[in-house]
Amino acid sequence: MTHFSWVDGSIVGLYIVATMIAGIAVRRYVGRVEHFLIAGREMNLYLGIASLAATEFGIVTCMYTAQSGYVNGFAGATPGVLAALAMFFVGYTGFCVKPLRDAGVMTIPELFEIRFGPGIRWLSGVVIVLGGLLNMGVFLRTGGDFLVAVCGFDPKYLEITMTALLVSVAIYTILGGMLSVLVTDFLQFVVMSAGLLAVTVLILVTVGWDRLTATVQQRYGLGGFNPFVHPKMGWEYVVANAMLSLAMVLTWQTTIQRLLAAKDTRTGRQVYTRTSFFFLCRWLIPVVWGIAALAVLTPEQAGANTLLAMPRLLSQILPMGLMGVLVAAMLAADMSTDSSYMLTWSSVIYNDILAPFHKRQWSEKRGLVVSRAIVAVIGVFLLFYGLWYPLRGNLWDYLTVTANIYLSSMSVLLIACCYWKRSNNYGAAGAIIFGAIVPIVFLIMEQMPSTRHFAREVIGPHFSNIATYLIAGMAMVVGSLLKPEPKDIHLRKT
Amino acid sequence: MPQNLFWWTLTMASVVWYSTITVYVAVRGAMDIKTMLRRLSMPAEKTDT
Repeated sequence: MTHFSWVDGSIVGLYIVATMIAGIAVRRYVGRVEHFLIAGREMNLYLGIASLAATEFGIVTCMYTAQSGYVNGFAGATPGVLAALAMFFVGYTGFCVKPLRDAGVMTIPELFEIRFGPGIRWLSGVVIVLGGLLNMGVFLRTGGDFLVAVCGFDPKYLEITMTALLVSVAIYTILGGMLSVLVTDFLQFVVMSAGLLAVTVLILVTVGWDRLTATVQQRYGLGGFNPFVHPKMGWEYVVANAMLSLAMVLTWQTTIQRLLAAKDTRTGRQVYTRTSFFFLCRWLIPVVWGIAALAVLTPEQAGANTLLAMPRLLSQILPMGLMGVLVAAMLAADMSTDSSYMLTWSSVIYNDILAPFHKRQWSEKRGLVVSRAIVAVIGVFLLFYGLWYPLRGNLWDYLTVTANIYLSSMSVLLIACCYWKRSNNYGAAGAIIFGAIVPIVFLIMEQMPSTRHFAREVIGPHFSNIATYLIAGMAMVVGSLLKPEPKDIHLRKT
Repeated sequence: MPQNLFWWTLTMASVVWYSTITVYVAVRGAMDIKTMLRRLSMPAEKTDT
């Protein structure tokens, strides 16, 4: 039984109208492609923090992290701890991000061109867009599933509701680009944070900390608190997630776009260090919600799909008013993620994949038209792939596999590009090819009956992920050493 | 139990830090938007950093 009422509907409607007005109002400041893609590099620190936090928390994030809490206990928040440490380390030391921002490029592949040549730039763009779009493809449907479960909507309206939401986001993203994304991200950060905090306090007060910990202890024992002794985790889970976290911090396009939109390198690094703790919050808070669902709901109430346990709990315990704040918060989280992701992949398509065609010779007006058209095409892709084509299988597995197709190779390329002068296009090509092949081979082995047991029980997903990074690194080293030493290259755009 | 204390500390730190940063970023972020839009409306005079 849900408590969604006209009061809640009014709160949600007010939020959507305010976002649309703000997003469309800033379109008049967009005069150049640089304004559209990276806000003219005018983003300051606190706007950057709000934008990065809003972008990196969507409904899909809330769903898989809450599921992790439901099935793993507090140990399920381990990736959040590792992500926060990785963000702080990279921001504090400037590891890779300093030379990247200093180079004055608009995307990571543009930096690769300086050391590895135009072919690697183009190939990197293709791999990034392929992995990123497939990853983002499930966002809309997951968001719709959450809203249906929490609000008690008739599932037959899911497609229409999410289509209307996507069209709204696409309108202001197409018109205002990164400027609209930043301004709406700011509004969405405030609304999203208010909702997340209010629900968390309600859960801690009504369910209680003792009941949460007792439930985890009873269901999962010590493994529910410590990933190293968890039967499905262990050291390999921690190492694989540490590598994944570092790779995401270094090369995840939406994160990097904030660095590149910052007004200078110092501001970009501060965005990293000061947002680092948020990467723990964005895991731990939904994990607590998931544990609360485990403590409060019976298995029948939670249902067979553990992904929906948390929204089912919220539909039961949230009072009128707070329900509206939560739904507005989750819509804010989803809209900010969708707009940023649409823009960020379009920036790679325009700047890197289409680079051989325009070679910086298109007028600003034509460049803007093309950039806007790319955002629209991505929106159409999301609509059909993500909403009208239902996903089968585990959500988190899908997300990590699609992300790893490019995270392993791109992180290896970035580190080599910044710090290993001997690296070259042979090594880069090898890292891209092997970084994609290893996870794909593992997926195929998992599907084939003759190798399924070996893939799942002997190798396992965590060792497969670790191997992906190691093999991509080895391919870079071996490939680079096969070619004569290159001339000295300076990583700054001319 | 130490594990319980570890997660309790992290959870409470998350709630307190997130509450504080939300208010602070809401105020300073609004000022950043104002500055950004003012600079973008000025004639092109800036070079890439």
